[in-house]
Amino acid sequence: MYSFGKISHTFGVNTFEKFKNEKFTPTLGDNTLVIKKILPSDDILIYSFLSGGGVPCAVIYADGMVNKQLIGDLAARPLSLLPGNSLSLEEVQKSLLFPELKTADTPADAAREILDGNSLLLVQGIPLGIIVGAKTVPQRAISEPQTSIAIKGPREGFIEDVKTNMALIRKRLKTGNLRFEYAHAGKQSDTSIAICYLDGIADTAVLAAIKKRLSEINTDIIADSSYIAAFLAPRRYTLFKEIGTTEKPDIFSAKIAEGRIGILVDGSPIALTVPYVLTEDFQTAEDYFVSPFAATVFRLLRFFAVAISLLLPAFYVSSQLFKIQLIPLNLTLTIAGSIRGLPLSPSLEMFLVLLVLEILKEASIRMPKYVGMALSVVGALVLGDTAVSAGFVSTPAIIIIAFSGICLYTVPDFVETGSLLRWLFLIVAGSAGPFGIVLFIAFLLYYLITADAFGAPPLAPFAPLVRRDFKDLLFKKDAYSLCLRPKTLRSENKRRLKDGFFENDGGNSGANKKNHPLDGIETDAQKVKEKEKI
Amino acid sequence: MSANTTMLPPLGKSGGSGEQLSGGAAANEKSALKAAKGGLICRRQLCFLLAFILPVPKLLEAPSLLAYFSKGDLLLPAFLHYVLQTGVLIALLCVCAKSDKPLFQRLREVSKPLAAAVYIALAAYFIFSDLFPLLDLANFSNTAFFDTAPSVSAFLPFFLLSAFICVKDEKAIGRSADLCMPIFLFAFFGLIFMAFGETDFTELFPLFGTSAGENFKGMYHSFVHFSDMALIIPLLGAYRYEKGDGKKIVGAYTGGGAFVLLFLAVFYGVFGALAPRETYAFDKIARYFSALDVVGRVDLLLVYLITVVLLYAYALPLQLAVICLCGACGIGAGEADGVGAGGVDSGAKHAERAKRRRLILSLSVNGAVLLFVLFASRRYHFFYSLTTAKLFFVFPIFSMALPLSFLLLKGDKKR
Repeated sequence: MYSFGKISHTFGVNTFEKFKNEKFTPTLGDNTLVIKKILPSDDILIYSFLSGGGVPCAVIYADGMVNKQLIGDLAARPLSLLPGNSLSLEEVQKSLLFPELKTADTPADAAREILDGNSLLLVQGIPLGIIVGAKTVPQRAISEPQTSIAIKGPREGFIEDVKTNMALIRKRLKTGNLRFEYAHAGKQSDTSIAICYLDGIADTAVLAAIKKRLSEINTDIIADSSYIAAFLAPRRYTLFKEIGTTEKPDIFSAKIAEGRIGILVDGSPIALTVPYVLTEDFQTAEDYFVSPFAATVFRLLRFFAVAISLLLPAFYVSSQLFKIQLIPLNLTLTIAGSIRGLPLSPSLEMFLVLLVLEILKEASIRMPKYVGMALSVVGALVLGDTAVSAGFVSTPAIIIIAFSGICLYTVPDFVETGSLLRWLFLIVAGSAGPFGIVLFIAFLLYYLITADAFGAPPLAPFAPLVRRDFKDLLFKKDAYSLCLRPKTLRSENKRRLKDGFFENDGGNSGANKKNHPLDGIETDAQKVKEKEKI
Repeated sequence: MSANTTMLPPLGKSGGSGEQLSGGAAANEKSALKAAKGGLICRRQLCFLLAFILPVPKLLEAPSLLAYFSKGDLLLPAFLHYVLQTGVLIALLCVCAKSDKPLFQRLREVSKPLAAAVYIALAAYFIFSDLFPLLDLANFSNTAFFDTAPSVSAFLPFFLLSAFICVKDEKAIGRSADLCMPIFLFAFFGLIFMAFGETDFTELFPLFGTSAGENFKGMYHSFVHFSDMALIIPLLGAYRYEKGDGKKIVGAYTGGGAFVLLFLAVFYGVFGALAPRETYAFDKIARYFSALDVVGRVDLLLVYLITVVLLYAYALPLQLAVICLCGACGIGAGEADGVGAGGVDSGAKHAERAKRRRLILSLSVNGAVLLFVLFASRRYHFFYSLTTAKLFFVFPIFSMALPLSFLLLKGDKKR
């Protein structure tokens, strides 16, 4: 069940502002009138009834967002049995059978709760609104997110309801240190936002920076968490992501436990995490469910695949135009045979094939499922095959672009950035050759080392070099080695694995074997402990 | 929004010898304080700069130049250069060790006009010292990246990169050093591995087979490539010396020297008497690797990789020139004070203004150098003789005499 706290601050201005100084009065009629003034819409319904002693009561709610049966059974029925011709707040609260109750001092606050899906109970003689948590907002079931499919590991994904998402996180982090702080943004949407962090682990400076940014958002609508990400990002124009995203509560919880701060937005299944470093995208949840060796191989494969995806088309074009030595002689002869008689230059040919790929990708995402299947047949087989037969494009160009497209999808979170970078590399390769490619790489790297967001440089732990964080980067070390939280995140609590955790298991664990004093080998945790002692 | 709108201290090194990444608001405050004091670059980054960035330009034109004058003894002038530069480095570190204050602050305390003059002189020197190497870089790019010689305009995009780099401060230099470490090691040892099979070290014998006069000639002709210590001077303004740093920094520079000497030995071992003709050494050193017949010129991928480091190395003097000009004009000097006195907003405004001015300086410096490259690209030999023979003395003045003169600065640390 939801834990309702004090009504939080609202960031942004909307119609509530007009009535922010209004207070509830003991007169029921006046109170309902004010609420109807604030919320004049037809879907805001008022259910009036009398208590057992004849005191007028009213429940105000947004149609379709409230479980009416619950209101009837657990609010109206007990009140209708309550005797006395005047009722106090305590009497009413005691009689109501809801676990979620709170009071609102002003009609503006109460109206906000109504729009949030809760019900407002007003009773003649009580100058307060009683908020009853009987929300049943239409929402989809929890399912596996399409963007991060896991073969091994949890399959739950976030949904559009922020409270459900919070519950999914609470289910995984059963600690009093887990904090949710509410905020609202959007003048018209008044979207609920939950800032999520582990107290004592998250960096308070980052938390303060996030709160400050959120308080400065002054826009009409927050339709998705990406709106919030856009306002949080320190740079307005950048090719690279500055805020991390995930759709999976297990990944989100792990990031929170590392010292990051999460942001959940009502209406969005995509949660944000801050600070973000580029290498996050190359890690998957499965890396932690398989052996470190396998995880290392997969990670290296991902880095390699992304490099191929970005650079292969560019190097193919630049080698044909400017530096043929880059291609082995036999392969050069094969390519020469394929491109003979082509009407297009290598760069234009590659540009067109890449354009076709991007169009097919865009169309297949948006098209209805059944048309999409036909599209892949027409696009990939018919179009590709006939284009080669007709002599418009060469076979190597199609192979390279297809391979490049597949490679990029090894890191789904990098696809948008990768697609743009691939275009840029292609343009640079066609106009300035391999030297242009190298210059562009140098530029991108230099840009990344200076593009700090929330105190974390995107290329960390490469630049600045943070040796400790390399244990879970290109090479994934075993769980015992990851005893400290990533230094990049400046967590207030550095340690995550307690030393000697398995000391009472009869010496069967790897940790204990490793710890044996006769070996003279210290674990990383022991080394850190020794250092701390010093 | 400014780059620091998150109002968090940079993650990067903020002075001192260890990472300033300890968590919490208190730690952040501490880190910000250190950054404000000028600790933008740490010992590790300085070490990486000396060991992995500064050796790279020496692998381009210097090997063939030294082979021309010293033949099989080409290691000797390079070694002597390194001995001299290491001596100067030790002297510079002694200067730093005498005080907690950054070098230029101490200079300013002696005399503000003197500090400004040193800044301007260094800026002029950095621009001058980069002119001839940039011509080399332009020619190298034509050789390594193009089958047919393109026009000089193919090289000009370098100045876009350089202009971007020049806007950044010393912190970026430190981080680029971090980044260059793995790139350099991978590419360098990859090339050495490929070249090793074709190396005949007997080409280096007999030792001291070349006359001292020729070796001396080789040495002074190559001052343009071996004047590293001038590059260190502005960085010492952003670095806070801590006890024990000296050994590591000197060790790193010596390590960088070892890379260069190893490369020279392998280079001469591969090409022997033909070495003087083999300009742009690292482009060519691995081309006789036997597997290249089958897989194509994969060595070029390593060459391209090390070129990334080379580009940073050649942009470094221009970046330092801009930093020195900023120092001379007082740009950015009050950023930290601005935050303290006028609040965050005032500090941010000040930073924005400093950034704009730095951009103007960057465009001016790079524009001037670009015009020079356009003008001088057809007069390569004239500028070669001008830089390496007629004006060679400029390099020891700035890389040796000037750093040694800092020994005259009074220290404020009690022993």
